[in-house]
Amino acid sequence: MKRKPFAYLFAVVCLGVFLHSHAVAEKNEKASPAEADEKLTLVQAAMCEGIKDYNPYNEAVVFSRTIGKVSCFTSFDPVPEKMFIYQNWFHRDRLSTKIKLFLQPPRWSTFSSIQLREADKGPWRVEVTDQGGNLLHILRFSITD
Amino acid sequence: MSELVPFLSSVRWQDLVDVTLSSYILFRLYFLFRGTHVFRVLIGIALLWFSQRIAVSLGLIVTSWGIQGITAVAAFIIIVVFRNEIRSVLQAKNLKSILWGFRYVSMSTPVERIIEGAYELARKKIGALMVFPGKDDLEEVVHSGIPWRGLVSKEMILSIFWHDNPVHDGAAIIQGDRIIEVGAILPLSRREDLPSYYGTRHRAAAGLAEATDALVIIVSEERGDVAVAKGTEFDVVGRREELARILRQHMGLPLVEEGYPKKQILRLGIAALASFLFIAGVWFSFTRGMYTLTTLEIPVEYTDVMAGMEILDTSVNAVRLDLSGSGALVKSIRPEQVKVRLDLSKGVVGPNTFNITHENISLPPGVVLKTVEPPTVEVTLDVPMKKELPVQVDWVGKLRKDLILAEAKVSPKRIRVVGGAQIVDGISTIYTEKVPLDNMHETGTMTVGLALNPASLQIAPDSDDRITIKYTVKKRVE
Repeated sequence: MKRKPFAYLFAVVCLGVFLHSHAVAEKNEKASPAEADEKLTLVQAAMCEGIKDYNPYNEAVVFSRTIGKVSCFTSFDPVPEKMFIYQNWFHRDRLSTKIKLFLQPPRWSTFSSIQLREADKGPWRVEVTDQGGNLLHILRFSITD
Repeated sequence: MSELVPFLSSVRWQDLVDVTLSSYILFRLYFLFRGTHVFRVLIGIALLWFSQRIAVSLGLIVTSWGIQGITAVAAFIIIVVFRNEIRSVLQAKNLKSILWGFRYVSMSTPVERIIEGAYELARKKIGALMVFPGKDDLEEVVHSGIPWRGLVSKEMILSIFWHDNPVHDGAAIIQGDRIIEVGAILPLSRREDLPSYYGTRHRAAAGLAEATDALVIIVSEERGDVAVAKGTEFDVVGRREELARILRQHMGLPLVEEGYPKKQILRLGIAALASFLFIAGVWFSFTRGMYTLTTLEIPVEYTDVMAGMEILDTSVNAVRLDLSGSGALVKSIRPEQVKVRLDLSKGVVGPNTFNITHENISLPPGVVLKTVEPPTVEVTLDVPMKKELPVQVDWVGKLRKDLILAEAKVSPKRIRVVGGAQIVDGISTIYTEKVPLDNMHETGTMTVGLALNPASLQIAPDSDDRITIKYTVKKRVE
């Protein structure tokens, strides 16, 4: 069953963060054939309490419900073209929410978050997939008291 | 009449067989053990049991307890005390004679043997006194008798009254086919009208005959004749046929020897009828007595699951049976006597619905099934399969506020499980048992077990069932 957005007030924030200033759109459009063959690569994935200065902070595998929200941070390099990924949040083995996040070449970092409720306690996992549904990474964590 | 028809229609063929068979067994027991002490003791026990029931119904607590105790050990006492008699009855006869035989065993006096004995004694001029009691008790008038209990035979009679036998002077008391006492002293008659040549033997015979209704045969030692005394009569009997007639008349036997006396046939007929009535009465009280209802919770036994399949889930593990029957039967039902078996041989993969019918339930005889609750059972069958699943720690509790659990590595990372295909297909992670955070203040290692949910899920034999967790605790960044 899909998690209903209004039911637990989850907030999804999609932020595009350029990590390096020299990667401009014009250059990307005139990328060499070799660069165009590059494959989308996940270079960092972490569960964290939040994002500060474009980086995850307090990365952990257990989050107290009292902190209010938990985020899944992912960073890709390279990103061959404009595309999107999915972050599928599972509470135990039940899909809770599926969040679509857009990526921009040549590198891109993005994250999604959920608001935490009492009923969310227990083991979770986030499956990161590309737009074709291919599994890129699984992050496992728990929500506790 | 209006109640008789439904009653007769409710009688099953099994009931008829039951009553007939039991009646015959009872009748055979009577036939085999009649005349023995065992039979008398059995009757005594039956009377004790009957008395106990009366005592219970009257509320005589101590009396009923006492009789109940005696009755309880009576069966044991019979086997121990009468083991020889039981063995002789069972060993002396072959199986056919035990089950079917109606061989006539004469319990009456063997008249011919006595007559032969008496006239043989007379021929040899050996004096003898033989007493045949009537209905009167001889104990008051006969003294000093020596118990004998030997079967009557011509040779035995001759040996008892042989001159050198220490008991030859007394009288032999013959009852049925046995000489029960020898050397008995009889009271002497004071009659004046007896012939002067009658000696002590004749006077003793006359004395007993006058005092009781017994018949006495006297063999004269001097004259070698045979006389009979009964009441005040005293006659010399010259012919054997005459003595046979007198003896038969005294004993109530038919004047002509029959193969199987009518009296015996009548007695056996009465015994057979009494056996039938007794068993029918017991059967009626057990099966047609006061109807009682009871409810039993009986576990369902699932049988004949197809090869390669297993039971994944059932809607119930036990069903409630409402049973009825006579009070005695219902009270004696033990749960292990009632079985509910469901044949799953026709089940398919997935959910199956089975109706619980009378064929699925076995009950003690005479107990009737009224209702089953629930009447149907849902059984989910599945084909077992193996699957490798990643392991995830199920953390619970609360970590100290200034700490975070930065990392937790599990070993092994994956575990193979076995379970129904439908269940295993829907599982993508296997979780550890709940791991508390409350006392975790620094990095460390621990070993935990796995939580198998649903319970039908099992860890494959080749897989480890303990998980090692290496965890890293760090200070929280504010």
